[in-house]
Amino acid sequence: MKVLEMKHLTRKFGDFIAVDNVTLAIDEGEIFGFLGTNGAGKSTTINMIAGLLHHTKGEIRILGKDVTKNKKFAKSHIGMVPQDIAIYEDLTAYENIQFFAGLYGLRGQKLKEQVEEALKFVGLSDKAKSFPKTFSGGMKRRLNIACAIAHRPKLIIMDEPTVGIDPQSRNYILSSVRKLNEMGCTIIYTSHYMEEVEEICSRIAIIDHGKIIAEGTKEQLKAIITNTKDIWIGINSTDTLDLSQLKLINGVKEVKVEEDVIKINSSADVNNLNTIIQYFIAAGIEIRTVEEQAPNLDTVFLTLTGRNLRD
Amino acid sequence: MKDVIWLIKNLFKVTFKDKKKLFFTVGLPIIGILVSILIYGGSNTSTLHVGIVNHDHSMISSNTVKFIKGLDHVQVKEIKAADVEDKVSSGQLDCVVTFDKGYTQSIQNGHPDHVNIVSIKGATVTGFVKSYLNQYIDNINDLSLAGKGDQETFHRLYTDYQQAPFKMTTGTLNDTSKNNDMTYQAIGFLLMFMLIAAGNLSSMITQEKEGRTYFRLLSTPIDSKKYVLSNIITNLLIMIGQIIVTLIFMTKVFHIQLSMPVWEMFVTLILFALVAVGLSLAVIAFATSSAAGNAMLNLIVTPSCLLSGCFFPSGIMPETVQKIAHFLPQTWLLDTIDKLQQGQHFSQVYLNIFILLAFACAFFLIAVYKFGRNNNVNNFI
Ligand SMILES: Nc1ncnc2c1ncn2[C@@H]1O[C@H](COP(=O)(O)OP(=O)(O)OP(=O)(O)O)[C@@H](O)[C@H]1O
Ligand SMILES: [Mg+2]
Repeated sequence: MKVLEMKHLTRKFGDFIAVDNVTLAIDEGEIFGFLGTNGAGKSTTINMIAGLLHHTKGEIRILGKDVTKNKKFAKSHIGMVPQDIAIYEDLTAYENIQFFAGLYGLRGQKLKEQVEEALKFVGLSDKAKSFPKTFSGGMKRRLNIACAIAHRPKLIIMDEPTVGIDPQSRNYILSSVRKLNEMGCTIIYTSHYMEEVEEICSRIAIIDHGKIIAEGTKEQLKAIITNTKDIWIGINSTDTLDLSQLKLINGVKEVKVEEDVIKINSSADVNNLNTIIQYFIAAGIEIRTVEEQAPNLDTVFLTLTGRNLRD
Repeated sequence: MKDVIWLIKNLFKVTFKDKKKLFFTVGLPIIGILVSILIYGGSNTSTLHVGIVNHDHSMISSNTVKFIKGLDHVQVKEIKAADVEDKVSSGQLDCVVTFDKGYTQSIQNGHPDHVNIVSIKGATVTGFVKSYLNQYIDNINDLSLAGKGDQETFHRLYTDYQQAPFKMTTGTLNDTSKNNDMTYQAIGFLLMFMLIAAGNLSSMITQEKEGRTYFRLLSTPIDSKKYVLSNIITNLLIMIGQIIVTLIFMTKVFHIQLSMPVWEMFVTLILFALVAVGLSLAVIAFATSSAAGNAMLNLIVTPSCLLSGCFFPSGIMPETVQKIAHFLPQTWLLDTIDKLQQGQHFSQVYLNIFILLAFACAFFLIAVYKFGRNNNVNNFI
C-alpha cells in the first residue's frame, strides 16, 4: 500500500516556486531519503505533507486519503520530527513526550506505557525527570524524535534529525531509525549527509530548486552516472603540470587539482589509463598513487546538480 | 474539547512550573491590597481633615463652620484660598469647603449657593461632608422660605433653630470613604496585575512560535483555532483566580468593606478580564517577536493604568488627561465600581457594562482580523 502519494505538488511563496511539480509515491515499509542542498525545498515539501503549509497546486494523499479533506486523519498517522528542535524547556523530558502524545488522544496507562517506550527508544529513560536545559545538543535531538514517535504513527517524517550533533548520538539516531522501520514504520528522512542516506535509505529522491531530478534505489542512482569514472592520481609536485594537455586525452571530460591530487573525470567506456600515465611520465612528474573511484552518491549528486551536497 | 482541556492543562503546567510566575500572578494583587491599606490606613474611625475657606464672614457662615466642627471624627482648619490646592493634593487635608461671598444672601433668597467642596479622594469623602452640610443648609433654607423673604422673621426663626439641638441621626451615616478608597486602590492595583498576567499568557503564543513548539503542535491533530481558544480560556481562568484571591483577601482577611455586593464586584471584574485578554491578544497579533510584544504591552499597560486612575484618583489630573482617560477601559471599570459603591443598582450601570463589553469585543475583533492576515499559510496565527 502507498503510505504517501504526492502528485504535481507545487508551492509558491509569492512568485518564488519553492516546490515545483513534485510527484512521488512512498510504499509502506520504506526508508525514503530526501536529498538536496540548502533551500532545495525539502522542508517545504515536508511541511506540506505534515499539514503545516498549504500547497499551491497538486495533491497529497496519506494512506490513500486526500489530506486537504482529511486533515485530522492524516495528521494522526504522521509523526513529525521538525528540523528545528521543538520542545518545552520548562517541562521534563517525560512531560514533553506525554504532552505531545496526549494531543493524539492517548490517555492513562496506555499513554504512560508509550511515553516510557519512546524514552527508552531514544535512550533517555534515565533522564525522564530532567529538564531539556541540562541536555546536550544530541540529547535534545533525541527528545525531539521521541516526541514524534510515542503515538506510534504509521509515517514518521524526519527533517534533518542529525544536524549538529556528536557522532555517538548520530549513530544512536540512525540505528533507532532502522529499528523503527523494522517495527513497521515508514520513514521519510531528509539530510545533508550523503553517508547517512546511503547507509539507511531504501530509496532516495534528489531535489534541486524544488524539482525532483532523480529518484530510485542507490544502485539505480549510481547507474545514472556509470558512463563516467573518476581517476585520482597523486603526484609529488604540480610545478610542470599542464592541464590543457591532459584534457586533450581521449575520453577525459574534466580535470581538477586538489593539493597534490589530480582528479580526472572521464568517460567510462574509453580505456585511457595508459595514455594518462604516459603523460605524467613524459612530463617527468613522479606518480605516487593511482586510484580509480567507484561512483558514489556524492558523484551522482555532483553530476546531476553540478554542485556538492554541502557547499 | 478533550484536546482543548489537554492544552489548557499543559499551559497551566508550563506557566506555573516557575513558582516566581505563580507569585507574580496571585501574590502581587495581595501585596496591592496591603499597600492600599498602608496608604489609606486600616481604621474605619480615623479622622477626616477638613479645611475651610470662609469668604462670607457672616453669622450664618460661621455658624455653618461651627456645625462642621461639631461633627464626629472631623477636624477643621481654616485656611487661605491660595493654599487649597497645595494642601489637598499633598494629602494634608481630605477636603476643603469654601464659602464664597454671597452664601448668606443666597440662603436668605431661598436658593442656597456659593458653597464648594474640593477633594482628591473623590465622591466618597466629599459625600460624607456634603450629606451633613446639605441637611444643615436645607434646614436653614426652610427657615428662610418660612420667613417668606422677611429678614426679621428669618432671624427669629434662625436663632430658635440655633438653640434647638441638632436632630439628625449621625449613626446612619458611617464614614465609608476610607473603605471605599482602599477598595478602589486595591482594585486599581488588581487591574494592572490582571493586564500583566493576561499579557504574559498571550505572549506564550509568540514564544511558542519562536520556540517552534507551535509548529509541532499544528502537526498534531490540533488546529490553530483550538490552540488560541485554549490560550484564551487559560488566561481567563488565571484571571478569575486572581480576582477570587483578591476578593477573599480583601473581605475575609483584611475585612475591607466593599460597599457593594461581592458578586457585583466579581462580575464587573470578570468583564474586565475579558477586556484584558482581548487587549493582550490584539497587541500580540501586531508583535513580530515576543520581545517586541512584551515591550508593546509594557508601553500600554502602565501608562494607561496611570492615566485611568488605577494608582491614584484621576480627579487630580488635568482635564485633558481626564478626557483621554475616557478612552481607556480601566476608567470605565473604576467608574462602574464607584457607582455601585454609591449605591446604584447593577441595572443602573448598564451603560458602563456595555462600554466594557464593547472594549472587549473591539479588541477581540482586531486580534482575529490581524491573526487572520498574519500568514498566507493555513495557520490561524
Ligand atoms: N515562508 C516562506 N516564505 C518565503 N520563502 C520561503 C518560505 N519558506 C521557505 N522559503 C524558500 O523556499 C526555498 C526552500 O526552502 P526549504 O526550507 O524547503 O529548503 P530546505 O531544502 O529545507 O533547505 P535546508 O536544507 O536549508 O533546510 C528556500 O529558498 C526558502 O528561502
Ligand atoms: Mg530544511
